[in-house]
Amino acid sequence: MNVAEELFPMVVDGRVVELDRIASDLLKAPPIKITIDGKEVEIARATLSKNPITGELKPKLTTILDAAQKAGVFIPILCHREHMEPVAVCRFCAVDIGARTLVAACHRPVEEGMKVSTGATSDKVKNSVKILTELLLVDNEVPRVVNREYGDNELRTIAKKLGMDPHASRFPKNPNDRGTDDSSMIISVDHNACILCDRCVRACNEVRHNEVLGRMNKGFKSRISFDLNDPMGNSSCVSCGECMASCPTGALTNKKLVGSNLVAEPGALPVSLDDLFTHELFKGISKPFMEWNQGSVIRRKFKQGEIICNEGESGSTAFIIEEGVVDVFLKSPLNHIKNTQSSGFLGLIKKFTTTLSTASRDEEKKARYISIDAPVSLNTSNPIAQLTKEDVLFGEMTCMNNYPRSATVRAKTDVSLLEIRRNVLYILQRNKESKAILDGVYNKRSISTHLRSIPLFAEQFTNDKDFEQFVDLVREKANLVRLNPGDVLFRQGDAEDNFYLVRIGFVKIWLKQPGGDHVINYTGPGGMVGEIALMGHLAELKGKLLAQGRTASATALDHVDLVSISGQDFKLILENFPKIREKMVAIALERLTEIQRQVTKVESTNLNDFLKQGLMEARSLLVLDLEKCTRCDECTKACSDTHQGVTRLVREGLRFENFLVASSCRSCLDPYCMVGCPVDAIHRGKKREMTIENWCIGCGKCAQNCPYGNINMQPFETNEKIDDITRPGYKVAVVQQKATMCDLCESVDGQPSCVYACPHDAAHRMSGAELIKKVESVKN
Amino acid sequence: MLVQALKEIQDRCGYLTHDEMHSLSKRTGVPLHRIHEVASFYPLYRLEPAKGASIKVCRDMACHIHGAPEITQGLENLSRELGPGKIEVCGVSCLGQCDATVAALINDHHVYRGMDLKSLSELARKAAANEELPHQHLDNSTLPFQINPYQSGEPYEAVKQFVAGGMDHAALLKKMEVSVLRGMGGAGFPTFRKWSAVKGAPGNVKYIVCNADESEPGTFKDRELMRRAPYLVIEGMVLAALITGAEKGYLYIRHEYIDEVKVLKEALITAAGLGVIGKNVLGTGKKFMLELFISPGGYVQGEESALLEAIEDKRGEPRNKPPFPVFEGLFGKPTVINNVETLSWIPGIALNGGEWYRDKGIRGATGMRIVSISGDVQKPGVYEVPFGQTVKELIFDTAGGMLQGHTLKAIATSGPSGGFLPAKVPVEKLPPKFVQDKVPAGVKLYDILELPLDLNTVGQMGGMLGAAFIVYDDRRDMLDNALNCVSFYRNESCGKCVPCRTGSQKLVDIITNLMEGKSGRKELGLINELGETMGITSICGLGQVASNPITSLLKFFPEEVENYLKQV
Repeated sequence: MNVAEELFPMVVDGRVVELDRIASDLLKAPPIKITIDGKEVEIARATLSKNPITGELKPKLTTILDAAQKAGVFIPILCHREHMEPVAVCRFCAVDIGARTLVAACHRPVEEGMKVSTGATSDKVKNSVKILTELLLVDNEVPRVVNREYGDNELRTIAKKLGMDPHASRFPKNPNDRGTDDSSMIISVDHNACILCDRCVRACNEVRHNEVLGRMNKGFKSRISFDLNDPMGNSSCVSCGECMASCPTGALTNKKLVGSNLVAEPGALPVSLDDLFTHELFKGISKPFMEWNQGSVIRRKFKQGEIICNEGESGSTAFIIEEGVVDVFLKSPLNHIKNTQSSGFLGLIKKFTTTLSTASRDEEKKARYISIDAPVSLNTSNPIAQLTKEDVLFGEMTCMNNYPRSATVRAKTDVSLLEIRRNVLYILQRNKESKAILDGVYNKRSISTHLRSIPLFAEQFTNDKDFEQFVDLVREKANLVRLNPGDVLFRQGDAEDNFYLVRIGFVKIWLKQPGGDHVINYTGPGGMVGEIALMGHLAELKGKLLAQGRTASATALDHVDLVSISGQDFKLILENFPKIREKMVAIALERLTEIQRQVTKVESTNLNDFLKQGLMEARSLLVLDLEKCTRCDECTKACSDTHQGVTRLVREGLRFENFLVASSCRSCLDPYCMVGCPVDAIHRGKKREMTIENWCIGCGKCAQNCPYGNINMQPFETNEKIDDITRPGYKVAVVQQKATMCDLCESVDGQPSCVYACPHDAAHRMSGAELIKKVESVKN
Repeated sequence: MLVQALKEIQDRCGYLTHDEMHSLSKRTGVPLHRIHEVASFYPLYRLEPAKGASIKVCRDMACHIHGAPEITQGLENLSRELGPGKIEVCGVSCLGQCDATVAALINDHHVYRGMDLKSLSELARKAAANEELPHQHLDNSTLPFQINPYQSGEPYEAVKQFVAGGMDHAALLKKMEVSVLRGMGGAGFPTFRKWSAVKGAPGNVKYIVCNADESEPGTFKDRELMRRAPYLVIEGMVLAALITGAEKGYLYIRHEYIDEVKVLKEALITAAGLGVIGKNVLGTGKKFMLELFISPGGYVQGEESALLEAIEDKRGEPRNKPPFPVFEGLFGKPTVINNVETLSWIPGIALNGGEWYRDKGIRGATGMRIVSISGDVQKPGVYEVPFGQTVKELIFDTAGGMLQGHTLKAIATSGPSGGFLPAKVPVEKLPPKFVQDKVPAGVKLYDILELPLDLNTVGQMGGMLGAAFIVYDDRRDMLDNALNCVSFYRNESCGKCVPCRTGSQKLVDIITNLMEGKSGRKELGLINELGETMGITSICGLGQVASNPITSLLKFFPEEVENYLKQV
């Protein structure tokens, strides 16, 4: 560039300004006098300024702004903060010092005899600042969103202070939507409100040293971005809140979680910030962040015997134990659903009844631990455990992923708890200091019960001493890894590095195939991921692996906590514990066979069919013709009559044109029903059929997940009577919600009662191929 | 390092993949956001794979008036005809080939000049078919200008004599002072003062940087100097290093100067072979390592502090000044930054004395300059002319006159930066001092052809004198050309400060509205207010001059705007 190249030295008209002297030399210099709007100010050339975060003292050149503040002269400031390095990008603090151009008061050091005019005395300055304000105002019309917390909009405040209408500008408005980013759980980004003042960027990097936020693109296309322009929630952002607290215009705002404020709930005791910051766990959290989120932490006190939460309930909070002991247990009896065909005496409609039975299924595993949403696992033979202050926290899974409560918690002694919302937990998990505490608890307290809950390990040890030895070995090697929804843990073909155990959340294991991603499995709490690629060296698996590296890809479906064990350590475990190795090999072979089977299947189907595969494979779909259907509900009634008064048919499901498909469980290729089971009670059986384990707590998550409406919740009154926990001394009949699935009355006579009952000929059974034909004919 | 590392990834992978940037971050410890800040800033980098062969058509000034919009449109049609994935057509800021319009860049590696739709379509088809592209060579003959004392004989005589004479710093600086050599960028800061300041600045580490990032639309004279006399700029840098004590230099060149990069690389090898650069410059025991730094692109890199930021692996955004580079320049150290031409005059001055250069000026001006002339003239090109030459002499004697049958409508004396001047200027629109000194009494319309082109006179007139001289004839719609120039600044703004980032965009919006008949007289006042604000509040020269094309138009060509206002 020609003009700019040497334009600047001319600003000083050849006068060599004392710029080679660094601020520290000027600390000792005698004070100088400058004039601002006619007022004379005597001021030091440099001062020691204190970093508000670190307390570090650093020599800083005195700027015109410092002098103006001393003189009590107003200069509008937008991009500058006292504790940040000035960048002088907004130019709102422009003042006239008699040079060719105006200078930025926040950046320009004072010089002896300087004569400064601000907008109060210079029309040139006043008009310029007005134009700058209008330039920003026109594109800053951002509506307030109810569930967000804004600070003051400093831009509008300045406009008002300058006597301008903060909602008026003469400039044409930028018609483009510059986008929003709501991926972070606690901070919402609205680029339309961003004025690129650089305050968040400096907050993130200079103030907090988190190194996440930057600016991307150039010129009028510039905007702020996280890491490699990743969504904020998927970036390495630790949610310290500093950027949000620094934002002058509401481009970065605190997302108030939808739902009631905890403070307003009955029994909630407010917690003051001072009180909160005495907690070890909260010491590293930024104060502004907690100020924004005051309603998200409350204290609850429970008397001995009181219930804190019930299994199956929905919730969105976690609990920090301050004082006392709680019991964690399952009150649901561990029963199976059993279908028995009764010989209907009328001979027309054969009924089959469904009851609960305590008898084990044939393939029932032996002793087993139930993983729950707490730092302990429950033993099936005696599903109760205690938690204390040492365990810090329970209810993480419900809080992060909105899963139903996995267990009932009751105060064993009088207890005091902090109930926290997701945004607070999120930041505790990301802040370095609190994360260290939480991870420490995991390592000390919960790893052994976690390992115990993994049948693969637990089943291999008959005596506790051996098990402890194993736990000790693993504990040293384990690291906690946290993933956000959508994060890729590894990709098919990647070099294998670690072995993972799932602690919280669900990981999708999938293959990239022609026609789209192909889900192999969902692995939830208690499951393991990534073992196959690490076992390629074993003789048993030689030649069985499909390719080098990872066999499949793994993606986090929700907020996932993983225990990571390095490949080397994993191999060490296999060497030292032959039983585990044996079992691992068996599992790996089984998984490889399954993958192989699915891959071959996909390869042999053509692409178009593949897309429809789920249906094409079905042999007997229940199809409702919605054109004929009058919604009389006879089908539902018939279903209900057949199944002990509880319908398994909900007239909801997958629709193709005017056909609604309600089929029995198809053991989907993508068994989404498994995702989110809080007690890991729904599994795939050996023949790929879905089974619901006996410790199902009846929360209904799988029923919600099944896209075909094939899983229904049914209350069963069992013959048992148990103590009423909520009313000590009383007994109640156990009414047990359990998940059931429609089986098209297969076990009756092959004629589903719903079809039989339909008075309008709207319900039919047909194969997938027949359905497609019908759909195509309707389409044409 | 980052700038080159990203280039290496792009050369290897075609674009900057996420995985590669992640691994770069792991390898170097540079945070992801820093890598992305740089990767997304410079036009050289791609964050997505190219959608076919890349055809970039120059869209500025001379190319704009000579059919670039139509050619671009034609290539877009071709792209549709060829189908997806074949060619990717877009505009590009001035490629510095304004003497042979229209210019284009194919696959970021081949510059073509003098293109029309037919010839460029042929090349585009070749590129789409992955055929080998011809390389268009430029005239490589020795530069026959007075600036080049080595038209016969070996180069580097000046530095050899300087060394042989015992490295008399004061004598050389005196010659420079006498010569009145000023920066050839346009603002004209005395060069000897820059060198003296760096020489006198405390500290051992200093740098010499040559600004060869010639990117101002209409400017292409450094291109000829570097390609046809590369030893001059190198020698100038060596002398600057010996005077100031700098041991490291960077020659920062735009990446689109592909032939020039090649020539300079060879010249650096030759210079090293001669011992002119290296660990022991001509046996003096002084070290001077000279590195060719290929710019990742962008006009704003020509702003000296933005250029330094780029060398420092940052987003190339101009710094707030003070401090000035002579005190805190590259890596915070005292730094001489000179333009190619400025440095190239030094050998001649060192050999022939300051008077030799000073006395080349005419009509009271001092010195000579190399000028790039483009637009509607018979012989666009690079010429060596004395300061003080009039517009008439420049257009009619030097550049062969106007095109047949056309008359002069407007000139731009500093690319888009200085705005436009009309053929006849009403004296009431000129500064009184200028009228008093330069305009004969009784003249109502000042004939721009009479204007002597030297820094002081043009400055006094309220204009700017750069190395780019563009001529517009009577066919040209000046509002359209003002929009073209303002769009250039909008496109090239780094986005750091509000007045430039937002103001340039609003200017483009307002002018576009004006051309579409959607703006009224009220907006004209707003343009002037905005222009004034941008001029005095922007951090760097880019934002400060960005409104000149339109404000000069409103001032000197009200009738051009009136046509559009009437549409309302």
